[in-house]
Amino acid sequence: MERGLFKPKSRVFIGYLALPVLWYVFVVVMPLILALKYSLYDWSGGPRMRFVGLSNYAELIKDTDFWLSFKNNVIITLLCIVGQIGIAFVLAALMTTRVLKFKEFHRTVIFLPVVLSAVVIGFIWTLIYNQQIGILNWVLRAIGLESLIKPWLDDPKIVIYSVSVPLIWQYIGFYLVILMASLQSIPKEIFEAAEIDGADGFKRTIYIILPLLADTLKVSVMLCIAGNMKVFDHIYVMTGGGPGKSSMVMAQYAYNNSFIMFKLGYGSTISVGILVLSLAIILLSRKLMGGKTQ
Amino acid sequence: MKNSRFIKRVLAILVVFGLVLSLAACKKKTAEQPQQSSQNKNIEEKITLTFTHMFTNDGSAISDGFYNALNEYKKAHPNVTIKQEALSHDTYETKIKTLAAGGELPDVFVIKGSMVDPFYNNGQIAPLNDALDSDMAWKNSFVEGAFDDFKRGDKILGIPIQVQPTSLIFYNREIFKEAGINEFPKDWNEFKDAVKKLRAKGYIPITAGNKGKWLVESCILSTLGDRFTGTDWFVSIRDRKGAKFTDPEFVNALRAIDELVKMKAFNSDINSLDNNQQRTLYYNKKAAMFFEGGWAISLVTNEAPKDVLDATELAIIPPVPGGKGLPNTVSGGAGWAFQINANLDGSKKNAAIELLKALSSEAYSRPMLEKGGFPATKVTNYDESKLSTLAKKYQQLAKNIKYVPVYDVQLSPGVIEVMNSGLQDMIIGTLTPEKLAQKIQQEYEREASK
Repeated sequence: MERGLFKPKSRVFIGYLALPVLWYVFVVVMPLILALKYSLYDWSGGPRMRFVGLSNYAELIKDTDFWLSFKNNVIITLLCIVGQIGIAFVLAALMTTRVLKFKEFHRTVIFLPVVLSAVVIGFIWTLIYNQQIGILNWVLRAIGLESLIKPWLDDPKIVIYSVSVPLIWQYIGFYLVILMASLQSIPKEIFEAAEIDGADGFKRTIYIILPLLADTLKVSVMLCIAGNMKVFDHIYVMTGGGPGKSSMVMAQYAYNNSFIMFKLGYGSTISVGILVLSLAIILLSRKLMGGKTQ
Repeated sequence: MKNSRFIKRVLAILVVFGLVLSLAACKKKTAEQPQQSSQNKNIEEKITLTFTHMFTNDGSAISDGFYNALNEYKKAHPNVTIKQEALSHDTYETKIKTLAAGGELPDVFVIKGSMVDPFYNNGQIAPLNDALDSDMAWKNSFVEGAFDDFKRGDKILGIPIQVQPTSLIFYNREIFKEAGINEFPKDWNEFKDAVKKLRAKGYIPITAGNKGKWLVESCILSTLGDRFTGTDWFVSIRDRKGAKFTDPEFVNALRAIDELVKMKAFNSDINSLDNNQQRTLYYNKKAAMFFEGGWAISLVTNEAPKDVLDATELAIIPPVPGGKGLPNTVSGGAGWAFQINANLDGSKKNAAIELLKALSSEAYSRPMLEKGGFPATKVTNYDESKLSTLAKKYQQLAKNIKYVPVYDVQLSPGVIEVMNSGLQDMIIGTLTPEKLAQKIQQEYEREASK
């Protein structure tokens, strides 16, 4: 009887798994296959479709706007890896020290933005950045730094950094929770031993926490890349890819092509492009990070 | 032990049950539809029409007319059930395009001029000529040019919702006086002088919110472009008869906007405000004027502080020196229209056509007009005293103006997207007017080659 509990028969397994797997195929795999199919057509929605083979892909490779948005994705990803995981790591390290009080409270507050909707965050930050009534310019004015005031979402040179800030701000909590979980699995004795040996603060972070968290950090970087390659909602709400194309990201570009310009075939091609590029970058990052520790 | 195993089993069964239910829920929706259509084959039976639109009951001129007409229709046709879905403007546009892409358009819906070609080419909408011709009184009740945005050759592909200008200048008389301008500028050079004078007084001459990308093109360039190029040029572009976006006249129109930007005529956050936020600067008397369509008349009437409202006057873009266009035109037209699904037939189609008629009847138009809206049909008896001051000022102005096409209603979505985001690029200085014209022309030619 006990054995039956831990090792169910294979048909029980199949029975329980069948529905979720079917569901997964229906909502994840099927759309992917359909996108691959549509990417081979000139299609404006509706029944009329014209097969054009790989010419959409040929166009995609020559499309400077797409590569510009890819570049923006890469910038955002790099900023987020440094910002989200970096800040989360520092905070997680702080949480292990005795200096920081009310740890539970801090953790909750930092985690809170993660559960907010991206659209709400986008609207809030649009208001924060607003030139006339925005709190950011108000604060700058109040502390006498008026020279720093900028049209935050209007200047093509800085807009990509402006839209990254809310993204970073929102997901610090997410990575903090992941890092905290793995920090807590490190035995206390190690820290105690380190303290006796005189490794404190900065040294402890570099020589003990960092190596012990290496695997978790790798996973976090991968999650971060995957998340930021398909970033859409924040940008859509804050700038819509504008001004011009200066904050355009790949997902926004796919959306514009599909639903504003009625090029659903080419839009699908772009989404396949996103998939391929994201996989490539994730594989590349795994190669790079794997090399370091071995 | 046994207990925990039992609980596990129950939990597992519950989970599976939940999944099955959610699957079944999806199935049910699709299963219902064939039943409906088989019902409709019997003529006398009840008819259900699905109707997706963008008239939320918000007390605006257009929604008053819409709901008034809809209620009258329901009274006159007790056998017809209307399943409505009302969405806000921007959401609606996304939703209807998505439904069209999935081939699941509702029975009755609203389309934009630029959606006509893709929908028609895909066989999702059909010409309404037969219906209109069989009821000439209905056909003749529309104002002149109402169908222009929905005509392809002789085919009429939509019943216009309203006909309104997209480019009016709302300006504050008092601020103009303060800057030493006693009369609205008579030509473009005077207009530029006025901008300089307003700037010198510390005002933002023109407040604009171009975050949605359409405002500069729809409310400024469509009319300003016509002043430079004349309407013949646009017709030639639309019908692909040889005109080019790189023609010097059109480039000059782009240069004129570029010049305004360089003169700092606009607020510096032009690309991060939307058209609702642009008016705030005007209401706060920080800005002297703004460009927006006829819809803003009722908005300004409702929103503006009293002193600003009293000082507000209306004007149109003045003629440009050497321009080929007429001085009294304004970009405008129907823009949006009611349409029915091409798959409808029999009694269901008749009911839908009746609904279209109700939505262009006097019950629809009169409340709209009295609230400062712009019905597409001629309204014979209405209460003029109900009009707001600003709406009366518009009626005065409208006596002399003639509509010319709005770019984003009549050109293809692809060209418009390039033009709209290109204008943003030009405003922030990353694209010259000449380069922008080339980019638009490129997209225009690429579409022709397909």
